[in-house]
Amino acid sequence: MTFNQTVTLVDTLARFHLKGESRQYFFGYLWWVLEPLLYVGVFYLVFEILLDSRQPDFLYFLMVGKLSFIWFSKSVNQAASSLEANKGLMAQTHLRKELFPLAVIHQGFYRQLVVFIFLICFLLMGGYLPSAVWLWLIPITLLQAMLITACGLLGALLVSFKRDFRLLIQLGMVFLLFMSGIFWDLNVIADTRLREGLLVLNPLANLIDCYRQVLMLGEAPNGMRLAWVLGESLLLLIIVWAAYSRLQFWIARQVVTR
Amino acid sequence: MTALLSLNGVSMHFSREADSRYAVFGGINLTVSAGECVALVGRNGSGKSTLLRVMAKIFAPTSGSVSWAPGVAVSLLTLGLGFRQDLSGRDNAFLSCLLMGLSRKEAKEALSDIEAFCELGQFFDEPVNKYSAGMRARLGFGTALMNRSQVVLIDETLSVGDAFFREKARIALEQEFNEHRAVVLVSHAEQQVERLCDRAILLEQGEITAEGHPGAVLAAYADLTAN
Repeated sequence: MTFNQTVTLVDTLARFHLKGESRQYFFGYLWWVLEPLLYVGVFYLVFEILLDSRQPDFLYFLMVGKLSFIWFSKSVNQAASSLEANKGLMAQTHLRKELFPLAVIHQGFYRQLVVFIFLICFLLMGGYLPSAVWLWLIPITLLQAMLITACGLLGALLVSFKRDFRLLIQLGMVFLLFMSGIFWDLNVIADTRLREGLLVLNPLANLIDCYRQVLMLGEAPNGMRLAWVLGESLLLLIIVWAAYSRLQFWIARQVVTR
Repeated sequence: MTALLSLNGVSMHFSREADSRYAVFGGINLTVSAGECVALVGRNGSGKSTLLRVMAKIFAPTSGSVSWAPGVAVSLLTLGLGFRQDLSGRDNAFLSCLLMGLSRKEAKEALSDIEAFCELGQFFDEPVNKYSAGMRARLGFGTALMNRSQVVLIDETLSVGDAFFREKARIALEQEFNEHRAVVLVSHAEQQVERLCDRAILLEQGEITAEGHPGAVLAAYADLTAN
């Protein structure tokens, strides 16, 4: 299969899955926006109305964080299960195994583009004025897509080894939810070294902070911090890609004969 | 005849439990040449389907080697490859063509042939979950025919649909194959094996126990099942 054929296949798998999925629900494609908004609603109710978060513009703060986080968590969780979900197909045809998680990640990217357009409209209505700084959204979004790809591919590989990893990944997402500054501001950590360490160790938290800097404060993000995310994602991507190249048959055997 | 595919001392083991392995087959030697139609017969669980998957590059053998002639594409002919119930026949056929390795352009061009072969009428644009089993089989077979591989591996695919469609499928399949292509067919249908195949192989308890003219191999298989 040539590179063009592979790209076409990944894109078609993603688009057809979204099309099929939308036909299963009464609200169809509307769920792309409704589902994350309902999550935001629940968090807003708990942290702002019940607990009085005292974070200025909490609704916008929460939306930027939560909508980016959902993109990450949903894509990685679904990618992790994708090899198992395509077990039948894998038993019938010889395809590169990374195609399956990549198609799932690609679906998430399509969905997130719509969510981001909605988020931007919401921010504009809230009085946040666009500026040239908002162009930083492009590299930040691409970096997040790269991070999701690396983590999603790794997750799928681990789940093909032992199903138990699926539970661990789900648990890991809950941990990340609390550690990525979704409903609290990482900048309240007074210890600078601790804060910077946390951002280096958790590239997702780093990206979410960058989104807020750009969209809510109108400031360009720190290039060094973005370089860290790029380095971490790229390194993981190279390692995982090499693992897939070596383990094609092993993955098929693990998943199909399970 | 040009050898398209060779298996040399191929063995396959699977893990049944965490620490025990069982042999599916061992020491298989087999060559498939252009223009040949080879039948694989044997009882359920004898390893026929796994052997096809080794030939199709889906599984790597535990030991031994498989060699494919340079540039030769091998694929398992599968009914309804990658079909999704919530997509239309047209979408499923397009996706299936891509999964078989066709380019976007080739897949689009193939759609009119598939539509004509399946005779589904307006249902071609309806979701597959509205199809009867026979309609799904027709769509699956019509799509599978677009497979352009030189070595085609068939696992019980031909026995689909009603008698009329089975005959249509058989004729279509015979037209598809020529002196440049080869077929390896797993089937329990004796008539089909005798009519289509030049050679048959009997797989029993993980070993080739008979090989040669289909009539003779089928007789050996009948003896085996009678005992």
